[in-house]
Amino acid sequence: NLQLNDLNDDAPIELETARELWRKSELATQELASGLCEQLRLILEPTLATKLRGDYKTGKRLNMKRIITYIASEFRKDKIWLRRTKPSKRQYQIMIAVDDSKSMSESKSTELAYHSIALVSKALTQLESGGLSIVRFGEDIKVVHPFDKPFNNQETGSRIFQWFDFQQTKTDIKQLCAKSLKIFEDARATSNSDLWQLQIILSDGVCEDHETIQRMVRKAREEKIMLVFVVIDGINSNESILDMSQVSYVPDPNTGAMNLKVDKYLDTFPFEFYVVVRDINELPEMLSLILRQYFSEMASA
Amino acid sequence: MSEDKTQIKINFFTKEDDESIKVSDAPLYVPVSLKRYGLSEVVNHLLGNAGEDEDSKPIPFDFLIDGALLRTSLQDYLTKNGLSNEAYLSLEYTRAVLPPSFLASF
Ligand SMILES: [Mg+2]
Repeated sequence: NLQLNDLNDDAPIELETARELWRKSELATQELASGLCEQLRLILEPTLATKLRGDYKTGKRLNMKRIITYIASEFRKDKIWLRRTKPSKRQYQIMIAVDDSKSMSESKSTELAYHSIALVSKALTQLESGGLSIVRFGEDIKVVHPFDKPFNNQETGSRIFQWFDFQQTKTDIKQLCAKSLKIFEDARATSNSDLWQLQIILSDGVCEDHETIQRMVRKAREEKIMLVFVVIDGINSNESILDMSQVSYVPDPNTGAMNLKVDKYLDTFPFEFYVVVRDINELPEMLSLILRQYFSEMASA
Repeated sequence: MSEDKTQIKINFFTKEDDESIKVSDAPLYVPVSLKRYGLSEVVNHLLGNAGEDEDSKPIPFDFLIDGALLRTSLQDYLTKNGLSNEAYLSLEYTRAVLPPSFLASF
C-alpha cells in the first residue's frame, strides 16, 4: 500500500521493529482481548436495546395514551399497541489516545502501553461496534489511525506502533482534550446515526494544571463524549502514582502569603472515570468496571 | 497573573545516618521553579518541621543531583542538562554546611 508507506515515512520506528513489537503484544494479549470483547458486548449491547413504538393494531404492550380515544371512538381507532421496533442505528466511535511522552519510558510503562493498545484495539475490532481511532499525544496530537479506516490485520497494528517511541518532551493533555473534542464534533456533524463517542486515554497520568483539564472534561461530558482514563502505573514499586504527592502553594486568605501544601496527587486528578493498572491482566476487568460505572451513571443522570 | 505551572516528578533521599531527617522516597510532583530554599521547605514540611518551637525548627538543606550541588532552579538544571520536565529526578539532600545568610541568595 503506497499511500500508507508514504504517510509512515516520518514515523520514528522502523516498520520491521514495529511488526516485532506488535507480534509480541498481540501474543501476550490474545486471550485477554477475547475476554474483554465479551465483557464489552455485555456492557454496550443493552444500550443498543430496541425501543417500543406505537401505533399498531397488534403488538406487545398497550399504548395507554391511545386508550381514551379508542373508547371515545367506539373502538374504531384501534391502533393502540406498541411494538418493538428495529434496533436503533446507534453507532459507537471509540478513540484510544496514547501518551507518547518521555515520562512513559522513564517510568518503564512502555511495554504495558504497547500491550494495552493491542488489547483494547483487538477487543474493539472483534466487537464490531463502529469506528475505532488511535491518537498519539505528547507535545503534539496526531491521529495515527482515523475512524474511517478499517483495523483488520497485523499490518494495521504494526503501522500504528511505528508512531510510538515515547520520546516526546511534553504531556499536553489540555491540547489532547481540545483536539479530540473537535475531532468528535466533526465526526458527529457528518454522521446521521445516533452516535456515542468514547475516548480511552492510556497514560502514566502525570500532567499539570488539573483545574483547566477538569473544565475540559466537564465540557466533554456536556457534549456526551465519554472520557475514560487508564493510568498505566510503572512497574517500579517505589514510584507508583498511588503514592505520589503533589506540592502546591495556596495564598493565605488573611496575609496573602503563599503557603506550601502537599496533597495526594490523585486527589486532584481531573478525570472522573479512571482506573490504575499495573499489569496487563488487570486491564480487561478494570476497563469493564469503569465502563459499567460510567453507563450506570449516564443512565441515572 | 500568568504563572508557570510546569511541574516535575522528583524524589528525595539522604545518605545521612540521622533517622530523624529521613523522608519517604515516594514520588513528588513539584514546580520546576523551585530552588534550594523551596526544596528545603518541602523536605521540612515532609518532616513535620514547620512549627516555631525548638524541636520542629526548619533545618536548612542542600540538594545534589548526581552528586553535584544544585545551585539553580530545577528548571535551569533541566535546561543546562538538555532534559525536559518528563524526567524523573532523584534529589539527594544533606544538612546545609553554608551559613544561612549566604544560603538565602540562592
Ligand atoms: Mg509525560
